Amino acid sequence: MSLLATASGDTPQKRALPRWAGALAVLALLLVAALTALCIGRFQIAPQRAIAILLSRVAPMTADWSAMDERIILLVRAPRVLLAALCGAGLAVSGAALQGVFRNPLVAPQILGVSPGAAFGGALAISLGFSGFALIGAAFAAGAVALALVGALARVEGRSDTVMLVLTGVVIGALFAALVSLLQFLADPNSSLPAIVFWLMGSFSAATWARLGIAAPGVLAGVAMLWFMRFRINVLSLGEEEARALGLPVERDRWLVFAAVALIEGAAVAVAGVVGWVGLVVPHAARLLVGCDQRALLPVSAALGASYLLLVDSLARSATAAEIPLGVITALIGAPVFAALLRQMRRKELAR
Amino acid sequence: MSCAGIIGGAALIVASCAPLRAQADCFGDLAGREVCLPRPAQRVVTIPMPSASTFIAVDGSAQRLVGMHPSSKRAIDEGLLGRMFPQARAIDASVAGVGADGFMPNVETLALLDPDVVVQWGDRGDDIVGPLRNAGLRTALLRYGTEPLARGNLTLMADIAGKPERAKELIAWRAATIADIEKTARDIPEARRLRVVYLQRAATGLAAAGANSYYDFYIRLVGGRNAADGLAGAPSINAEQIAQWDPDVILLNGFEERLTPARIYDDEILSATRAARERRVYKMPIGGYRWDPPSQESPLTWMWLADLLYPEAFHYDLRAEIARAYRLLYGQTPSQADLDEALRMPINGEARFYDRFAASASK
Repeated sequence: MSLLATASGDTPQKRALPRWAGALAVLALLLVAALTALCIGRFQIAPQRAIAILLSRVAPMTADWSAMDERIILLVRAPRVLLAALCGAGLAVSGAALQGVFRNPLVAPQILGVSPGAAFGGALAISLGFSGFALIGAAFAAGAVALALVGALARVEGRSDTVMLVLTGVVIGALFAALVSLLQFLADPNSSLPAIVFWLMGSFSAATWARLGIAAPGVLAGVAMLWFMRFRINVLSLGEEEARALGLPVERDRWLVFAAVALIEGAAVAVAGVVGWVGLVVPHAARLLVGCDQRALLPVSAALGASYLLLVDSLARSATAAEIPLGVITALIGAPVFAALLRQMRRKELAR
Repeated sequence: MSCAGIIGGAALIVASCAPLRAQADCFGDLAGREVCLPRPAQRVVTIPMPSASTFIAVDGSAQRLVGMHPSSKRAIDEGLLGRMFPQARAIDASVAGVGADGFMPNVETLALLDPDVVVQWGDRGDDIVGPLRNAGLRTALLRYGTEPLARGNLTLMADIAGKPERAKELIAWRAATIADIEKTARDIPEARRLRVVYLQRAATGLAAAGANSYYDFYIRLVGGRNAADGLAGAPSINAEQIAQWDPDVILLNGFEERLTPARIYDDEILSATRAARERRVYKMPIGGYRWDPPSQESPLTWMWLADLLYPEAFHYDLRAEIARAYRLLYGQTPSQADLDEALRMPINGEARFYDRFAASASK
């Protein structure tokens, strides 16, 4: 707690200006991405009209648009844009925090077994014929069960070291992946099988305000938890021994971070299916911009993650008449970008 | 072997060759191979979903069918076929899985059934055929998705049953129905051609059938236009795309049990489409088999859709047509309750123009 109290008002004054400029630039990027996403789509609505529809909610305006235009903007695109931004931000922040805690740049939120768990819950709900909120609830619950299992198995004599955690995560992830395969094997090829397959590849196509309302508390609570722990994550990223020497309750803090990540990941998978790569790639881009300090890394990751997923989702829903699964695009863009980032970082390290 | 080279998968040619071969109990399948049975098949197993009901229809009984796909079984239990042929409910349905690898046969289960011939997909790779061949089981392969192939499949089932004349009879009915519908559909002016979307998936997510699908074929046959003909296959789409198409009619698939028109009417976006505003959202019926994909009952699907799309141009008395067709296909006369169930009157009854299918409207 002492770390939290002393460091909060303690930003270095000399870097204040460029940091603010940087923050503004990142925020502007997010805003532009959100507005662009709102203005494009398969249903033809002129951008100025789309913006006018949005403004008409806060200021009185004469409506020169059809009821359908208004529904598309306010009921289809607005919740979808917000949901994509929210999940993008949440996934990127979880990735950044986990990469700090594990001191390993290859860690992604999937590593704790939460997304395979949540995927199983969702697939189970679909194969039982449920959709909507039952699906979301099942995905979230199964994600939480997966994390609890990882926690229980990784703790030996009251302690869980990093390697044990990662291995347990892989084991539990594999277990739930096998259960998902079993469900696919049992699913009806005429109805539930294609639904499960598409859901597993990730999509925001079912976004509504109600779904946003379900995902938002989980993601926001998780992000807030990570934000309040930013100093502790900084200390954890020094290494277990160092953190313990500095008086940090390593075990407890680590699990708090995991719980926050599970909350975010469970909520995101529940409403959008499995969206890979965001939590892995975006923190690297953010680290390239602002370095490893979680105080700057978390907000920049959030903004970049949100912008990235907005871009990807806009492509997914408007590039063709068909919805392209998000997972396909995040991987197609993510993999080469990741490779480029890795090379650039390595070059930086060598030049040092 | 004179036929084998020419066949090459062209279903109609297969159809014309089949009678020549029937004498020696040899016939071509839809993968262009020759299938020879030492004696008329007494024990038949079908793995492709629609084949079980097609075989029962062609054979006129469920006695020679000893195994089928679990999904075929579900359609039989759900639809009228199980009631018309109660013994079909007892047929083994454990020969294959149901899901992702659902057409991979369990060879030992199959061998236990001691089949004379196993009907398998011929267009889904050799992996699902190889194990059968390896175990020394005789296979007949079919392909799927177009009207010529549908006729080829009928012919193949009839050849297996040793009743090639049945295929001719059923194909003649299809050809006559198409000719009859085309005669009327031809005169529908371009401006009045309704835009139709067939939703292949709607309960979880949305998927619409694109160009070159069988759905596209019969939408165009009855004088409509497939609003989704820019798509290939049946990909996932979003509600916004459907709003952009603004279809005049929405067809809901018959596969998803819980799917009803309420799915469209309760959706904030879809309920604003022209189809929903004019209450022209229909769930596909299920008779002896599902009416959506190609089957022995397809002509009924076409008449049903023609009646619904252009009630002033087409005047099929569908209840009478179904009764006639079921005597031809299954040798049975359906009750009024059977007809209500097949047409899904409780689900579709409120939809526009559906009253013409009510018992009171039939002569």
